Amino acid sequence: PSSRKIPSRNQTPTSPNPHATTMTSFLSATAAVRSRNGEKCLPIHNSEGGATISVSFDGQNLAIGTGKYPTASYHDDVGIDHGITQAPWERRFSPYEFNGGTTLAISGKDYAVVAADTRLSSGYEILSRNISKLHPLTEKCVLGSAGCKTDVDQLRSVLDIKMKVYAHNHRKPMATPSVAQMLGNTLYYKRFFPYYAFNVLAGVDSEGKGAVYSYDAIGSFERTPFSASGSGQSFLIPLMDNVISHKNRLDEKRDLEAEEVVEIVKDAFITAGERDIYTGDAVEIMIIRSDGIQKELFQLKAD
Amino acid sequence: LKDDAKKSPVRTSQNAPTPFQILYFKYATAISTIPSSTSILTTALILTMSLSLQPGGSSTRAPPTGTLSAPGNAVTTRPITTGTSVLGIKYRDGVMLAADTLCSYGSLAKYKNARRLLPVNSRTLIGGSGEYSDLQAIDDLLRRNALEDRCTADSLYEEENDAEDCAKEVWSYLRAVMYNRRSKMNPLWNDIVVAGFRQNDDGSTSEEPFLGIVDKIGTAYEDDILATGFGGYIALPLMREKYRPDMEEGEARALLEDSLRILFYRDCRALNRVQIAKVTRDGGVLVSDPYELDTYWDFKGFVTNKGEMGTDGGW
Repeated sequence: PSSRKIPSRNQTPTSPNPHATTMTSFLSATAAVRSRNGEKCLPIHNSEGGATISVSFDGQNLAIGTGKYPTASYHDDVGIDHGITQAPWERRFSPYEFNGGTTLAISGKDYAVVAADTRLSSGYEILSRNISKLHPLTEKCVLGSAGCKTDVDQLRSVLDIKMKVYAHNHRKPMATPSVAQMLGNTLYYKRFFPYYAFNVLAGVDSEGKGAVYSYDAIGSFERTPFSASGSGQSFLIPLMDNVISHKNRLDEKRDLEAEEVVEIVKDAFITAGERDIYTGDAVEIMIIRSDGIQKELFQLKAD
Repeated sequence: LKDDAKKSPVRTSQNAPTPFQILYFKYATAISTIPSSTSILTTALILTMSLSLQPGGSSTRAPPTGTLSAPGNAVTTRPITTGTSVLGIKYRDGVMLAADTLCSYGSLAKYKNARRLLPVNSRTLIGGSGEYSDLQAIDDLLRRNALEDRCTADSLYEEENDAEDCAKEVWSYLRAVMYNRRSKMNPLWNDIVVAGFRQNDDGSTSEEPFLGIVDKIGTAYEDDILATGFGGYIALPLMREKYRPDMEEGEARALLEDSLRILFYRDCRALNRVQIAKVTRDGGVLVSDPYELDTYWDFKGFVTNKGEMGTDGGW
């Protein structure tokens, strides 16, 4: 648009402002002002049919309230309180909201355990106490996601559709390592307007061994022995380092049974729920084996 | 708005008006008021012609994600005319919603008889808080969909009609609309409560009541008791305390009225003129006329000077 400039018959050579012209084209008017001062603008038609240039603010750079605040940033995570102590109209619309929650996944010899709390929060308010954060993608693979629930729901819908298409084309359900790669790609596809979702993927691979993958919001992922994400991850990861990875322990490491791991997970969520305000109410635990998925719901403190 | 649910957030610059369209628009504005389109223009042009050059802009044209807005496209930055809380509760026969009839213009109580509980079709009800104009746009959209469904159904007669969307379908659809708008950074600034029933696989109305909520960024969840806005802080704890799954209609209504009364005491933007609406299996959707709630101001804490009360608080 900036290269298209229709010459005006009404142009006066002796106008005080060398940049002011009467324009016949909406596009050239805006292009002229934008090139002059980089501001967003819109031409206002007067009753004689000509256009005068005026600069005004549109929603993007309108400053409401006191002081400056940052230009477009994807994460409204201003500090530990996730921005909730700011008055609602002093910051502009954010497409994200932190809905809280913690997820944990642990892999074993022939099983994987994945767990997530069931609390949905917004600021200091609890919106619901029984929302599931776990989503089975296949019979051998479960995705647990914390973060912004609307993005999590959208991500799940997108993945479900892709898995269906894969199953139609390949005539078999997707294997867990393939799901892991696809999730990474799907997240990176939205690299410049990310899904605010902190994922863990747990399942059994084609050989029947437990597989757990950790992700960040833009899709970098890695297969790990265990993974924790969400608001309570800082409380869970150090505990898992000691109990699951056996770090800084002198006794001999041994393989754990699935039932033992479930007890460890329950204790871990009690620990996280004690100190993290966004974790609590109940934990949904799933054990994934080659022959199916077992579920359990364990109640936590509701405070 | 209807296309918002279908379009992907990644768009090319297909909306830039061509010079041909600009010339027509210029002549059109000289003879008619903005933003009405004239009969000179074809329907294909009308979409871009409705793009007003006034600062309000048009919400039908949205910027591609990740780039700056083209001039003339404003996005919603804050709500102007707002409704306060909507409360919803499941009970024995179905689902009940409650809301007051106030639309505030900032601190001005501007419209004291506004309808915020709206029937969508014969078995779904929505209640909206937040920006009232966006609620009206959503209502238009949902009713337009309902009309299309009725017109294209197998039968024109309502008894045989399974084509109407049940509450859960309306809730899912609305979630897609809200998500799409927020992904274009131009949200519909509402929290919408959807009430009705689920649908069985064969299309008949299920026995199970449905109550769900969608907020302005598309956060969608369902529960037995819901509240938007201030109601979440004041009414929800009270309702959670008193809730039982098999409440009678009278009990549920009394609970909602009490909650609305307490909201009137404590929410500056609330009113004691309220509406109750219900969806039942047999009766369909029923929205009451607005009526006034009685309020009691002889509570000692309201009447007595705090300093005289002997407690430690007060000015």
